[in-house]
This record gives sequence, C-alpha cells and structure tokens, in this order.
Amino acid sequence: MTKPVLIVGGGPAGLAAAHSLASIGQKCILVEKEDRLGGAPILSGYAKLVPSGEWAKDAIGGMVSRVENNKLVEIKTGTIVNEFSGNPGSFSAKLSDGKTIKASSAILSTGFTHFDSVNKPEWGFGTFENVVTTTQVEQMISSGQGVRCPSDGRKPKRVAILLCVGSRDRQIGREWCSKICCTVSANLAMEIREELEDCHVYIYYMDIRTFGLYETSYYWRSQEEFKVKYIKARIAEVTQKDDKLIVKGEDTLVKRPITIPFDMVVHAIGMDPNVDNMLISTIFGIDLEPHGFIGKQNSYGDIGATSRPGVFIAGAATGPESIDDSIAQGHAAAMSAYAVAQGAGKVAAE
Amino acid sequence: MPIHEEHLIRPENLKTHENLVIDGVDVSGHWSTFIESRVVTDYNEAIEEEISSLPGGEFIHRCWQCGSCTNSCTVNAVNPEFNPRYWIYLIRMGMESELLRDRDIIWQCVSCNKCTYACPRDVMPEGVMKATAHWLELKGHTPKSPSTVFDEVFAGQVIETGKIEEGRVLRHFLKRTGQPMIQPWLVEMVKRMVFGLPLKMLIHLGLANIFRPRTSQWARARSAINEYVAEKEDEHQTALGLDDLVELAKQEVTSKSTPAGE
Ligand SMILES: Cc1cc2nc3c(=O)[nH]c(=O)nc-3n(C[C@H](O)[C@H](O)[C@H](O)COP(=O)(O)OP(=O)(O)OC[C@H]3O[C@@H](n4cnc5c(N)ncnc54)[C@H](O)[C@@H]3O)c2cc1C
Ligand code: SF4
Ligand code: SF4
Ligand code: SF4
Repeated sequence: MTKPVLIVGGGPAGLAAAHSLASIGQKCILVEKEDRLGGAPILSGYAKLVPSGEWAKDAIGGMVSRVENNKLVEIKTGTIVNEFSGNPGSFSAKLSDGKTIKASSAILSTGFTHFDSVNKPEWGFGTFENVVTTTQVEQMISSGQGVRCPSDGRKPKRVAILLCVGSRDRQIGREWCSKICCTVSANLAMEIREELEDCHVYIYYMDIRTFGLYETSYYWRSQEEFKVKYIKARIAEVTQKDDKLIVKGEDTLVKRPITIPFDMVVHAIGMDPNVDNMLISTIFGIDLEPHGFIGKQNSYGDIGATSRPGVFIAGAATGPESIDDSIAQGHAAAMSAYAVAQGAGKVAAE
Repeated sequence: MPIHEEHLIRPENLKTHENLVIDGVDVSGHWSTFIESRVVTDYNEAIEEEISSLPGGEFIHRCWQCGSCTNSCTVNAVNPEFNPRYWIYLIRMGMESELLRDRDIIWQCVSCNKCTYACPRDVMPEGVMKATAHWLELKGHTPKSPSTVFDEVFAGQVIETGKIEEGRVLRHFLKRTGQPMIQPWLVEMVKRMVFGLPLKMLIHLGLANIFRPRTSQWARARSAINEYVAEKEDEHQTALGLDDLVELAKQEVTSKSTPAGE
C-alpha cells in the first residue's frame, strides 16, 4: 500500500486532483483551511459560472459531494499544514490539529485571495455604500435577493463596472492581468440587464480581455443581445452627491472629461496571490515567482512541478486562472503526484 | 500666452476675464485667456434606442469602435470631419449636444456602402448614417435633405399612379428644393434627347407628360401602400417620443381656432 497523496486546498483545483487520484485507486488526504470545501466559488457565493452558466453551488457543489462521498479521500477541514519535511515517496506533515501524517507526494491547490478594494481609496469602496465589488454582486444574485443599492435597497437605474481594480496597476504593485474579470464582468452585466430591464450598464475598460471563445459569448453577446455599453476610460475618482455616485474620468475616444452620475459602481476585483503564500513557501520549502504566486517549473517536463521535487501545484495558486483551467491543472497534477506515489516518478527522473 | 491654432477651439470655450484674481495672481485680460474643457455630465440613453428604432439603425449597439468604417469612408477622404465611427459612439453613449454640432455634415453620406463591407461587427454604418440623418430631420434639428425630398417626390408619384414619369419627378424636385427649372445640364440633356431619340419615343414621352397614364386597378395597391407607410411613420413617431408633440401641436391648433373669451 503506497502512502497517500497530500492535497492542500479544497477549491476546484484540489477537488479535481482528489477526484482524479481516488478514481484510479490512490488514497489522498485533503486539507482545507476553511470549514467547508469548494474554494472561492463556494466560499464567496458566486452566482452563475463562466462559461457553463451553471450556478456555482450546483456545479462546484457537485464536485464537493463527489469527493466527500469517496472513501479514498480523507477530508480535514478547518486545518492547515504547519510543518512539512522528507523526500519524494516519504514526506511527513504536521497538521494544525496536532496530528502528523505520512505522504508520498503533495499537491498545493491553495488558490488566490480577492483583491481588497480598500487599497484603491479613490474609487470609493469602503467610503460610499453603493460602491461594491464583483463578489458582492455575485452574492446579491446567488442569494436570490437581486441587484440592489446597499444604501436603501432600491433597484439601480444605472450601473458602472470598473475593470482592472487591483490588476494591471503599478501604483499598487500589481502588474498582472487577472484574466477572468473581463469575462466575469460581461457575464454580470448581462445578469443585471436580465433582472433589471431598464437598468443601463456601462463597463469602463482599458482593454477587453475576454479571451478565446469567450469573445462571442460574453463580449459580443453582452453588446448585441443585452446592449451593455463599453467605454474606454480609466476612472480617476468616484465621489457622492445626494444619492448618486459621481464617476469622473476621461472618455478617451472623444478626448473629453466625464462626470457621470450612477446609482451603483462595481469594482471588478482581481486575483491577488494567496495571503498565506509567504508562509506556504517557508513551510513547504518552495519558491514563489516574482509577483508572489507559487512558482511553477517549466511546463514541458513534469506537469505542475514546483522548485521542490515531489511537491506539485495546480490552479490559481500559480497565478490568475479560470475554474476550467484550475480543474484541468488539478487533474494534471494528480498524474504527476500519482507517478511519485507509485515510485515511478523517480524512475522517470533518472 | 497667445493660443496657437485658436481656430480649433470652439469660441464659446475661450474665456477672457476683465478682472480676475486667483490666489493673488492677476489673470485678467487677453494674455490670460482660458480654454474651458467641455465636460460630459450625463448620458442620454434615449438617443441610441431612438436611432436604432429607425430603419438602418438596428445594429448600432454592436459597434466596438474599431474605426474601419471611417477609414474606408468615401466622404471622410475628402472631409476628415465626416466620421461615422465618432457619431456612432456619441449616439451609443448619448452625447446629444456633441452630435448636434455635426448636424450639417452627417447627411453628406453618399451611401456607397464601403463601410458596410469593412465593418467587422455588421453594424451596417451606412444604415446608421441614414437613420441618424432621418432622426435629425424628424426631431427638427435639420431641414429635410434634398435626397429626402427627392425620395418623397419619387415615392409620392409611384404611390399615386403606379408609374414613374421622370420629367415630372424632376420638375417637382426642383420646385420643392427651390432650384430654377432651367439648369444648364438639363437643357443640354433635353437637347441631346431631341436629337438622339427616335421620334416615336419622343412623342410617347410628350404624351405621357400630358396625360399621366396610370397602372390599371392601382387604387387597391395604393391604399395598401399608404396604410403601410402611415403605420411605419406612426411607429417612428412613437419610438422617438414625438407622439406627445404631435398631440400638443393639435391641441394648440384647436385652442387657437376657438375664438378668445369662450
Ligand atoms: C468575482 C470572481 C468571479 C469569478 N467567476 C468565475 C467564473 O464564473 N468562471 C471561472 O472559470 N472562474 C471564475 N473566477 C475565478 C475562480 O474563482 C478561480 O479560477 C478558482 O476559484 C480557482 O480555483 P482554485 O482551486 O485554484 O483556488 P480557490 O478557489 O481559491 O481555492 C483554494 C482553496 O484553498 C484553501 N486554502 C488557501 N490557503 C490554504 C492553506 N494555507 N491551507 C489550507 N487550505 C488553504 C482556500 O480556503 C480555498 O478553499 C472568478 C473569480 C472572481 C474573483
Ligand atoms: S481580465 Fe480584464 S478586467 Fe481583469 S485584469 Fe485583465 S484586462 Fe483587467
Ligand atoms: S456609405 Fe456613407 S458612411 Fe459609409 S463609406 Fe460610404 S459615405 Fe462613408
Ligand atoms: S467599422 Fe463597424 S465596428 Fe468598426 S467603428 Fe465602424 S461601425 Fe463600429
């Protein structure tokens, strides 16, 4: 009997890895910091997912129960790894519940942290009630409450979505593109238009990055079917006058300053490196890449390899990723971890 | 500082103050002329909806501002102020006052449809130009353009008689657009026709002009067409929110026709 594979983080990537391993008869231990599985889509209460259109609680919920019902997966929620030592084939991990476990290999699927909009004070989050984030709008929709202004519960007539909040911004040391927020914003804009017919939605952008096939179903569709409007402008500041938020900036296509009243302003928040990454890097003895995400070896050798042999990585822990890609990486990392667990990794490496 | 290229600035945005002191600095007089920036302070969402309800404007909301239409445009090549991309943007974002500044250029589209072939999003910019010119006319921002008048004269004759008689169309068009009947090109054309065409055809033309032949049993077709036209016109009135105005105008007429004191 080989030693189990240790999986850290129970989001889409970790759940995919656990399912893969279990389905080929490999035991694993899934350690999750929070008190339930599912990662960001469940913990933050996302609404309908890109690109399937399924509710997060159904789609990711299904992945959770599939793993929970599998005897080969031992789940430890509310737990983190405090110490990690050993070599491929025989690692040992000390958990926060005091127990020590043996593992043949490990997969880190510890994901990302949502950007905290308070760090961009000029855009009014934390100061004005009706400035919210994409996660809050996701929650308004998924809870069934509907999109409402937090200040007085009224239905907004005009909503501005500001893209790249906490991404692509040297002022706050975040140069990366969070990859999914353009598409998520187009998706939310359509959901808002669907719920509130006479509410106009404006998206303020620098570039639109609805990559690959999302172009048709999100960027084009949001304009062609839902009449969402895209304005090329980086907003300078958001202020408030009576019950309206005043959005100031420059409409770069007409070279004109704008000060436009809105009922609600939504920050399309980006994906930060997991706040735990420094700790994770120390405990597991692995390198971070320059932005602070977990460093990945080149993709042409062992899939999901980190700087430490036998420790693999998957999902948004490596940098901004979509759910689909995180899941694919989870499955792929499972393959690498399985090879080590079976003793084949060593052979392959020689 | 003198302002270079002053002609590029709209005069109402040039501000010179007789007596103005800001934070202890005297900024009066010509040497301290300010250029005021025009700030967009609101979007008028109705405009896009109105123009998209007119024939040709249906696909305006697809535009992603690539500029292919402007780049390929026949009129833009001779007049850089003619910029379909820009107007589509103003309409989409509801920048009405900006749009109205160009009301005297927009109708100049020659319907060559180069833009239609260039547009990657099937916006049909030519149609949008047509709808926009139509919108400007319906809203009373511009008088009817010569081409609208021509269309009306032409269609009017077809609807009335089921036939078209070019001489009559031309005469009515010139009359309604206030142009003299004797145009050098027209005189030349008639001269050449007289010499060039067979006698029989000339007689035919002459008779048609006097007797105005009609397509037989046209009356039913005419009333169907008229009904359809009226229906469409009503639709456009409603879409542009002009119904109330029409009602108001009617009321005004009736109130004026009632003798005072009653
Ligand atoms: C507003 C918003 C909407 C989005 N919508 C979509 C969408 O519609 N479609 C799409 O494809 N993508 C979407 N995304 C992206 C999506 O959230 C990520 O792709 C996905 O969550 C990544 O999965 P993951 O498993 O790698 O990481 P996560 O979902 O972040 O999961 C990581 C898990 O690890 C746990 N963890 C973290 N640190 C530790 C630790 N030290 N020890 C133990 N456990 C730990 C966390 O609690 C969490 O459960 C959206 C992102 C945002 C911000
Ligand atoms: S995906 Fe779009 S909103 Fe997100 S960081 Fe990239 S460009 Fe900005
Ligand atoms: S149809 Fe009008 S707008 Fe289009 S290219 Fe020709 S002149 Fe320009
Ligand atoms: S070519 Fe089409 S998409 Fe491009 S600016 Fe013109 S109308 Fe818009």
